[in-house]
Amino acid sequence: MTGKSKMWEDQNDAGVDELLAVLGYKVKSSDMAEVAQKLEQLEEVMGNVREDGLSQLASETVHYNPSDLSTWLESMLSEFNPSTNFDPNPTSIGSFVDPIVNPSQSLVKLEQVYNDPFSDYDLKAIPGKAILSPNMLVSTNTNNNNNNNSSSNSLISTTTSCSSSREAKRLKACNYGTTTPISTNTSTATTPTSSKLTNTRPVVLVDSQENGIRLVHTLMACAEAIEQQNLGLAEALVKQIGFFAASQVGSMRKVATYFAEALARRVYKLSPGVGYDDNLSDVLQMHFYETCPYLKFAHFTANQAILEAFSGKSKVHVIDFSMKQGMQWPALMQALALRPEGPPAFRLTGIGPPAADNTDKLQEVGWKLAQFADSIQIQFEYRGFVANSLTDLESTLLDLRPESEVVAVNSVFELHKLLAKAGSMEKVMGLIKEIKPVIVTVVEQEANHNGAAFLDRFNESLHYYSTLFDSLESCVDNQDKMMSEVYLGRQICNVVACEGVDRVERHETLAQWRRRFGSAGFSPVHIGSNAFKQASMLLDFFAGGDGYGVEENDGCLMLGWHTRPLIATSAWQLANTNNPNSNSCSRSL
Amino acid sequence: MNEFDSESHFEKLDENLLYEVFKHADAKTLALASCVSKQWHHTAQDERLWELICTRHWSNSINCGTQQLRSVVLALGGFRRLHALYLSKTAATNPSIQARVVKGNGNKRWGKDEVNLSLSLLSIRYYEKMNSANKRQ
Repeated sequence: MTGKSKMWEDQNDAGVDELLAVLGYKVKSSDMAEVAQKLEQLEEVMGNVREDGLSQLASETVHYNPSDLSTWLESMLSEFNPSTNFDPNPTSIGSFVDPIVNPSQSLVKLEQVYNDPFSDYDLKAIPGKAILSPNMLVSTNTNNNNNNNSSSNSLISTTTSCSSSREAKRLKACNYGTTTPISTNTSTATTPTSSKLTNTRPVVLVDSQENGIRLVHTLMACAEAIEQQNLGLAEALVKQIGFFAASQVGSMRKVATYFAEALARRVYKLSPGVGYDDNLSDVLQMHFYETCPYLKFAHFTANQAILEAFSGKSKVHVIDFSMKQGMQWPALMQALALRPEGPPAFRLTGIGPPAADNTDKLQEVGWKLAQFADSIQIQFEYRGFVANSLTDLESTLLDLRPESEVVAVNSVFELHKLLAKAGSMEKVMGLIKEIKPVIVTVVEQEANHNGAAFLDRFNESLHYYSTLFDSLESCVDNQDKMMSEVYLGRQICNVVACEGVDRVERHETLAQWRRRFGSAGFSPVHIGSNAFKQASMLLDFFAGGDGYGVEENDGCLMLGWHTRPLIATSAWQLANTNNPNSNSCSRSL
Repeated sequence: MNEFDSESHFEKLDENLLYEVFKHADAKTLALASCVSKQWHHTAQDERLWELICTRHWSNSINCGTQQLRSVVLALGGFRRLHALYLSKTAATNPSIQARVVKGNGNKRWGKDEVNLSLSLLSIRYYEKMNSANKRQ
């Protein structure tokens, strides 16, 4: 029995709107305005959902007595509200629109709560666009959102309001009613506990900007609850996040979902369970490479610094801590091949983690690069080292040939992982010094995700990844975009849900790296204006959005989205070296 | 204009003449010319022509020898690709690099950054294509 057939049966109530009655809906004429409003709200939520391809919600949602439209809408809308029964069973995380966590759980839960399920029904028949109910939401902080990038409901400007009302993290979210205006000052909010999650009238939040703010508040409140070991509250808030995230679109929704998952993992003490260096991570990074300019920028700027340092040398050796697919090296080899003085002999040592499937990835990459080198007739030697951690390396293993060769050490998004274990960074710095490179190129995320307090890390990373996700929105290819988001989502999960040696995404800012390199005995090498120009040109060429910008910061280059720098390239040499490159500006090829 | 003779020596003459004429064409003309007929297509795709188009306007931008450049670029996909995929687009996306009209050809001048960027991108593309071809190794 489908929902449709049941509808056609119930047509004989008095006082119902005639037009809808023909379709099989019973709506009292007196209720019409209210029903229209709810329909619009529901449509908006469903519409949002559908845009993101969560079609299972649209097609598999359970309906309760759709012929009585008013009650039905209420029941639909109330489904989106958090349940008052907590079960510590982790599968309950899935009770909200969460594409990452098992979505089928939501259906199970709904059936438990309601007893007369109907089969699916095509909501496309419901007309109308969502409007904002004047009673429901007061536009308070929307002035903060006027600075938003028009292409997204970015969290950038909302977080400034959040930090000022930091003391007022407690939510009023659960006490919405259509007749109760929301107070503008969240500091007067009452503390919601699980028992207070009752609703005077269930509603669906449709105003993206308002809900965006609430979403951020909820995220931060949850993080704070975790920091204070109040896991019951944290659990409640995780579900709220799902609720708000569902009302958002675009990057904000995705970021919130990833953060929600990470928070949930932390609350329920579930490890991320993903091997960090599995085959998927290579694929993901390749898509990230294609989708957005961050990795390309990293490679181009580091290569320029290396090229300049290798100028005039006839035998060169690069030690790459971040070998992966070797994408950085073809361009460098080509540039070396076109040097006026002719190419040097080029040696590459690639360091990488063991592959999950026991294949020798490093060797495969080496073969490809050798083929490439052969095509452009550059003398090439390659060695791959498999190491679980950079600390496993010894300089004696690296076959250094100081009398004939100069060495460059390159690290793209690898060094921060050493901060997870005490002493690791110092050991690797020592190793680098033993290598005596003419240049060390380092690319790192420009953020402090390694603060002592969980809440600080959380806030920082929320801001950072929101910006990063925003910048991805301009990408046209949806699959690439999604893979990039998963790639970043893993990082988010690590920052938020892991601790101790497992937490490897310990990003630090350029200023912090400067201090670290400085005190380890390195001095900065200025990355020249060539790199700056080429990087700018690269962005024009590739980047979909106009939001990317290269910034020079005292010899280092940073790539950012709008005003926020996101990655930084820096170059170093051993202090007390008489190196004419140390303050060079423009050196051509 | 004479209709095509089927005699081979006449066709060969045509090709050389075509080549000489094409040497003076700019990129857009050459691209259009390659759509005219099979013979024109074949002639217009000649790497030497595209090498001329690329290098004509970058004399100060690249310091290496012609042969050196030629062997690297040809190995990595050729001048025609270099131009079509990268060089032509760098000029287009950088209005600040002003197009200097050279003898009415409308060709733009490429600076060393455009050239270096294009070469780098060409090499990355070549490497990526290598990757997919070698998947099963």
